[in-house]
Amino acid sequence: MASSDAQEAPLKSSTYEPEYKSSFGLVVDVALRVLLFATALAAIIVMVTSEQTKMIPVAPGKLMPRTAKFNHSPAFIYFVAALSVAGLYSIITGALSALALLKSHGHSTKLQAHFVMFDALLLGIVAAATGAAGGVAYIGLKGNSHSNWNKICHIYGSYCFHFSASLILSLISSITLLLLVWLSVYVLSKKVARR
Amino acid sequence: MDLQYKEGINNGRIGGVKRTDLALRLLALVLTLTAAVVLGVNKQTTTVAITLSPSLPPVKLPVTAKWHYMSAFVYFVIVNAVACAYTALSLVLTLATKGGKKNVSSMVVIFDLLMVVLLFSAIGATGAVGLIGYEGNSHVEWQKVCHVLDKFCHRVMTAMGLSFIGSVAYLLLIVFAVINAYKRL
Repeated sequence: MASSDAQEAPLKSSTYEPEYKSSFGLVVDVALRVLLFATALAAIIVMVTSEQTKMIPVAPGKLMPRTAKFNHSPAFIYFVAALSVAGLYSIITGALSALALLKSHGHSTKLQAHFVMFDALLLGIVAAATGAAGGVAYIGLKGNSHSNWNKICHIYGSYCFHFSASLILSLISSITLLLLVWLSVYVLSKKVARR
Repeated sequence: MDLQYKEGINNGRIGGVKRTDLALRLLALVLTLTAAVVLGVNKQTTTVAITLSPSLPPVKLPVTAKWHYMSAFVYFVIVNAVACAYTALSLVLTLATKGGKKNVSSMVVIFDLLMVVLLFSAIGATGAVGLIGYEGNSHVEWQKVCHVLDKFCHRVMTAMGLSFIGSVAYLLLIVFAVINAYKRL
């Protein structure tokens, strides 16, 4: 199989690669995509169920119930949107990678090239979502005396706890995406070196 | 396949490194440096007129905003400075090895990806904090500040836009590296 491939003119990247016998890269790929889906879904669920109502003294002697929900801040809405895109993307690409694993000839290179580009783009989006939610959560935790933004975490304890949990989960998903792109670069360099 | 590296100028390369690679790295260097500097020297002092009671004339209180009052801005400046230093280092490395050493180019791709993550997260954080400053958040009683400190907010937006283009340049560097590798297969 390999010799007949070498005799043909090198075709462009739309052919399947029959020499790609080692499926270690594909197994790790599918595992990482499953991890990405799990952490993205978990982060969304934890963030969306973070609603908490507390009685706040708005005037001396008067208590009013005040709610804290995730959609009070546009940064958190963006966070949920970006992570749902990541979860959906991981379902599609995880299914495609698992299909490629079951077939004998592995990935077509054109598909893998598209995967890497979208992985890198999605990495940027998820990293921005993590940064945005982290920034707002930090202000909620510590407050900012210079601009008179008071901290809220000493009042809404469970809300802040949900937040830190979903932030950690989204950090794990961005690290997973980073590992996915690194893995693809590694597999690629192995393929180029083998040529 | 190693011969391709040594052909040099005739292949769309300058000194062994592809022209688009070089151009994107220079662009990223300039943009991250500018973004770090624009936010790093950002401060503004204005006065706010507060009416204490209807009979007295309004009292003018000085309001100062410096960039290091917000942790998100400090993170932004640090990340942009690190990205700028890394770009300079990678430019020197790729030009010195003339794109020939495989280890150097692999390490450069790996660290490029790390820079993408850091830069995007810094832009997200600054954008979120800037949005709170611009619109305020009525649910947690955080007042908006940009109607008073308008030059400060404009400079923050400028720095964010510059850094965004720089991080897109990093993303394109990765995409081009992958495309070139796939073309060689």
